[in-house]
Amino acid sequence: MSILIDDSTRVIVQGITGRIGSTQTHWMLEYGTKVVGGVTPGKGGSTVEGVPVFDSVKEAVQETGANASVFFVPAAFVLDAFLETIDAGVKLIVVVPEHIPVKDVVKMRSYANEKGVFALGPTTPGILVPGKGKMGIMPASLFAPGRVGIISRSGTLSYEFAGILSESNVGQSTVVGMGADPVVLRNLADILELFQEDEGTDGVIVVGEVGGEQEEKAAGFIARKMTKPVAAYIAGRHSPQGKRMGHAGAIVRGTTGTVDGKQEALRAAGVEVLQSPIHVAEWAKKHNLR
Amino acid sequence: MRLHEYEALDIFEQVGIPVPRRGVAGAMHEALQVAGEIGYPVMLKAQVLVGGRGLAGGIKTASTPDELKEVAEGLLSSEIKGMPVRKILVCEKAEIAKELYVGITVDGYSGKPVIVVSTEGGVRIEETAKASPEKIASIHIEPSFGYYPYQARTLLRMLGLKQQLITSWTDVIGKLYNIALRYEALISEINPLVVLPNGGLLAVDAVLEVDDSALSRVRFALPDRVDRIENPLERRGREIGVTYVDLEGDIGLISSGAGLGMASMDIIGERMKPANFLETGGGITADLLYRCMELIMMKPDLRAVFINVYGGINPIHEGAKGVVRYIQEHNVKIPIVAKALGNRQEETWEIFRSAGVHVVTEAATEKAIDRLYELVGGN
Repeated sequence: MSILIDDSTRVIVQGITGRIGSTQTHWMLEYGTKVVGGVTPGKGGSTVEGVPVFDSVKEAVQETGANASVFFVPAAFVLDAFLETIDAGVKLIVVVPEHIPVKDVVKMRSYANEKGVFALGPTTPGILVPGKGKMGIMPASLFAPGRVGIISRSGTLSYEFAGILSESNVGQSTVVGMGADPVVLRNLADILELFQEDEGTDGVIVVGEVGGEQEEKAAGFIARKMTKPVAAYIAGRHSPQGKRMGHAGAIVRGTTGTVDGKQEALRAAGVEVLQSPIHVAEWAKKHNLR
Repeated sequence: MRLHEYEALDIFEQVGIPVPRRGVAGAMHEALQVAGEIGYPVMLKAQVLVGGRGLAGGIKTASTPDELKEVAEGLLSSEIKGMPVRKILVCEKAEIAKELYVGITVDGYSGKPVIVVSTEGGVRIEETAKASPEKIASIHIEPSFGYYPYQARTLLRMLGLKQQLITSWTDVIGKLYNIALRYEALISEINPLVVLPNGGLLAVDAVLEVDDSALSRVRFALPDRVDRIENPLERRGREIGVTYVDLEGDIGLISSGAGLGMASMDIIGERMKPANFLETGGGITADLLYRCMELIMMKPDLRAVFINVYGGINPIHEGAKGVVRYIQEHNVKIPIVAKALGNRQEETWEIFRSAGVHVVTEAATEKAIDRLYELVGGN
């Protein structure tokens, strides 16, 4: 069992004809993902890695029965492609690209919520279900099938935690990158809820970082709703403090998103706070997770 | 990108927000001239891109030319939180009946713009927010609905204000909201928004931070393209397309993601000190890592280099070629430890090893830092 991706997931790749889109399509197919089509306006009728390319998302969905999409579209075109994808009826969207303007993300998130679409990113490595499939860029060699869920704000740290667990013979049920931008399409607590409900997941690791308030808000959800063990690591203790200007963010949040503040909130919710990533192996052992 | 106060005030003035009479000075004689035109007393404000400038001594007043000479000279030769003061803003000293606050930002958690107001503006606004939350009011704007003035009026009524102030303040909020939209601002703020004895409003300060990801769309509207990055190494990082932060230690760092870079710094920081933070993002090529090596090696006293990269979106075997080319061309003697995992990792390891790089193949960064520590010891 897993979250978000299962045997019924049929994926289209948007921006499939680009350098990154085609390379990543190769890796996704090799990992066993059902990549059924690709979209690049103007390149319809061609194929990439044996996958048919369409001019529009609507056409791709009609021809292939796709129900999920992963984006390798240049940042400037993401908003347009995202709205098109929602209108074509796709219910799961993974937005890999970085440097998308916040103003665009705000619109994307608003429309996704309105239409009941589950979207991740921007700046996410995507979703990987070990041994089953992946949407995004996670490098397969670090993952192993098992029963621990991982949610990470950072892409590279999701690989790091999966790699440490796999080396200790602890597998993962699903690994989710939620995206590293100031505004993301789905909040941490929403993804935690999926793991709490997933029969294939026995424990969850939250990999956070300094800034924002995702971890603080998730702590409230964990305290109220989570019965599975949760561990968390927050990166950024030695990061230089940004030369912050303006007060609006701090006033709205009431905190400044410090490592200490996040750790305190999580600890109060019963989460085991890891001081260094490598400690995740001991935590998994303690809870008999595999 | 953060604009200087004087640049933001110009933008605020263009849309009709009332701002003080003012001028920018880079030298004392310029400050004297501006003050002469405005008339004493004047405020002198250091133009540095840091928060908490007032509490750090960056805002002064002068009542006479002699006093101005002394104060301007002091400011122009000072540093505020490590930033050299190159320019000062000389502006009229307003008579203050009351100080208000208004700020607009994007609330990351709800994913919506939020307007924040307070009747207790000034340098201690964040403390007020904590101690007396009832003096702060905020409203989220639905992205699909947009902003309308009644929302501001409702918000200000919650603070128990009189209609005259509600009307003039609502006007300022609407103009500020338009600026936030047009300039794709992550923060647009007036603190304080001063109420004058005659009841009029005056934006005595201006904060505007433009979303870096939107710069190509809003650059046309920005005042100029002056370089805002003071540190030459950080500026070079920006030029080659990576995030570089200059630090005080002696262990050079290259990482392929911000989270991994932060975790690497945390782990290095337990026993040693990082010389820099460097994050490539998803654009690694051989050339890019060659330039990254060039950049981090500009610091003369490095004792070692740690490279921590994953091959997800990045072709790490290409990156390794760039590092190796740098090592060979520059005959690098200090130890280099690399942890590189993911797509084409075996090939990457071989390339690194061909130039004497110490390759660590375990996933935990802690193990790689153990190796680094063995090679160079603490300090």
